[in-house]
Amino acid sequence: MSTAESATSTATRRTPGLVPVTETMRTTERTEEPATDHPAAGPSGPSAPSGRRSAARATWAFWRLLGSELGLTFRRPRNLVMLAVLAAVPVVIGVTLRLVGGSDDGMGGIIQAVAGNSLMLTFVSFSFLVLLLMPVAISVVAGDSIAGEAGGGTLRYLLAAPAGRTRLLAVKYLNAVVYAYAVTAVVALSALLTGLVLFPAGPVTLLSGTTIPVLDGLVRIAITVGYVGAGMAALAAIALALSTFTEVSIGAIAGTMVLVIVCQVLRAIPELGSITPYLLPTKFTNFDAVLRSPIDTGALADGLLTFGAYILLFGTIAWARFSGKDITS
Amino acid sequence: MRRGTFVRWGVPIAAAAVIGAAIGAGPVIAAVSGEPALPERSAAQLLADAVAATNKEGGAAPMSGTVQQTSSLGLPALPSSGSASPLSLLSGSHEVKVWFGAADKLRVAMPTQLNETNLILNGGEGWYWDSATNTATKLTIKKGDTHTPATPVPQPSDLTPQQVAERVLAHADEHTAVRVINNAEVAGRPVYQLVLSPKEEGSLVQEVRIALDGETYVPLQVQVYAKGSAEPAFQLGFTQVTFTPPAAENFTFTPPPGAKVEEKTIGLEDMRGKQAEQHAEHAERVASEAKVVGDGWASVAVIPFSLSDLTAAATGTPDASATPGGPGEHFGEGADPQALLDSVLKSATPVSGTWGSGKLIKTKLVTALLTDDGRLLVGAVTPEEITKAAGTK
Repeated sequence: MSTAESATSTATRRTPGLVPVTETMRTTERTEEPATDHPAAGPSGPSAPSGRRSAARATWAFWRLLGSELGLTFRRPRNLVMLAVLAAVPVVIGVTLRLVGGSDDGMGGIIQAVAGNSLMLTFVSFSFLVLLLMPVAISVVAGDSIAGEAGGGTLRYLLAAPAGRTRLLAVKYLNAVVYAYAVTAVVALSALLTGLVLFPAGPVTLLSGTTIPVLDGLVRIAITVGYVGAGMAALAAIALALSTFTEVSIGAIAGTMVLVIVCQVLRAIPELGSITPYLLPTKFTNFDAVLRSPIDTGALADGLLTFGAYILLFGTIAWARFSGKDITS
Repeated sequence: MRRGTFVRWGVPIAAAAVIGAAIGAGPVIAAVSGEPALPERSAAQLLADAVAATNKEGGAAPMSGTVQQTSSLGLPALPSSGSASPLSLLSGSHEVKVWFGAADKLRVAMPTQLNETNLILNGGEGWYWDSATNTATKLTIKKGDTHTPATPVPQPSDLTPQQVAERVLAHADEHTAVRVINNAEVAGRPVYQLVLSPKEEGSLVQEVRIALDGETYVPLQVQVYAKGSAEPAFQLGFTQVTFTPPAAENFTFTPPPGAKVEEKTIGLEDMRGKQAEQHAEHAERVASEAKVVGDGWASVAVIPFSLSDLTAAATGTPDASATPGGPGEHFGEGADPQALLDSVLKSATPVSGTWGSGKLIKTKLVTALLTDDGRLLVGAVTPEEITKAAGTK
């Protein structure tokens, strides 16, 4: 760190492949200069509109950057393949249940519920996918966000543009969140379509044994998508934080996956029952609260608070690390 | 290092502090705000009010909430035996949801991962729904000819704090020091805590705390503290409670299409049949031979018992010498009684004295001694007390 500093102070600040903190700070300040440069010239006159204009320009730049990031994310073949694989899982589950269903009497209640109603396939698919496959997809995108740019040598170009590090981080995180919701929605849609094709539609039987109309069932699926997406967004915050610590994106991706798997192992140990409520993956499966009558809002709120806490903690860690990091590649 | 680095990392540290504070806030606030939230009251007044509140017209107030049960009895690790087994209640933490409309309107739901078990009582009929097996059981509760009055008390409702509190209150006599705390809080409501501490030296129980709601006098929490531990060894109480009448649809149940429907009548009729007679006979015989040594909190139950009976019953081999309907049959299906027995006996320490020799099983609250001459001594007492009891024949 000190060598980088001395290099920039002594040299002409044109060292290729070196964007220290001070320089990106300066580039961000430069964009705000029109707003703060001449406050003495006209205290009431030109400063206020120009400030508003630059703020508007900044928001526009933010959305443009986000748009280009989203375009990159959703055009990447790798990310599209992951979406396709996740969309295929509900189809596989549905076909399997269709082939097995009806012949066996010793099936679990939830399997029978799927055989009886098309909407239940969505919940079953989520209960399989939230444990491992969806976290893999999200950590690939979020873990790649900063480390991938750093490893590819493109991070310094992103920072050379007057974007600012905080804004870049926010764009990267929002990009990962949008992808998380895309994954969740794709799984839900695929499961819903498969279910409608393979199983009879009609009133949905909840876990509590009560029956609700189809429309109500669809509303509950929408709530589930919102909840699971929020959980994946919390995981994306962890992956983003790890991503700021390394220049090898596979390191951040694998690190996030190791965390998820370690959490699952810890949950399986009964002696550690006291810590499981604080682990993130424990809350992923809380979406079954919507299948109860009345909806267990307490469990959902509890899960959302946990997600918020994780996003706050790891978001600030990512910010602290990224805003103070020397970009050397 | 740049000066800004410290400032920057202060942000996540502050975030962690805020989250930690939010998690720990509940207990800390309860401990710090020591001001009495309720007017002072003696134990007798409190009990009278509580009894009046439960006996008044219309019974207890309608309410709904979440009940959590936690036990850390210090038992040896039990083999996991399915979440539905009653044995699973002996360790760990469990949560049920309770909706209580009136004396004959009750719903108890036990949510588990993607499954739910429900017990719904409405008037004379009840439903037991298990989503795991997709089975609805219609329970018809016989009135009149049973010893239970018009308010049927189903087994799972043993878990509501009311019943547990009643049971513990029955013990309050000259052996117990009773005091009242009026600044405690349970499930966000100010409560009176009735603290019962045993006077006997030999008891393993430090104190029993019963929390009564400050307004409605409904028991909200029962805690049993073992000697020498700050955390309750057993705790049963509401973590969330509202005193508004629950929605009527909680108490109606229609079996969903496609579900298996079974019927069952609860009443004395269940007790007919040969096996039940044998059970009763056996229980009678045991009861006539059983005796209680010591009194109050330090009482020890002495029951004639032999290990071979239990092992035979547990393994299920019809041994001619085995007592019909041995204790092993009381273990529910799904739990492997043999494995349980093995793990319990493995943790037992062999002891001996002037009274003979045997195996001692010690937990935080209960000590059991299985003597080699075929007696089982159980009590909430220290090992010294129980060996003393073993000496008095």
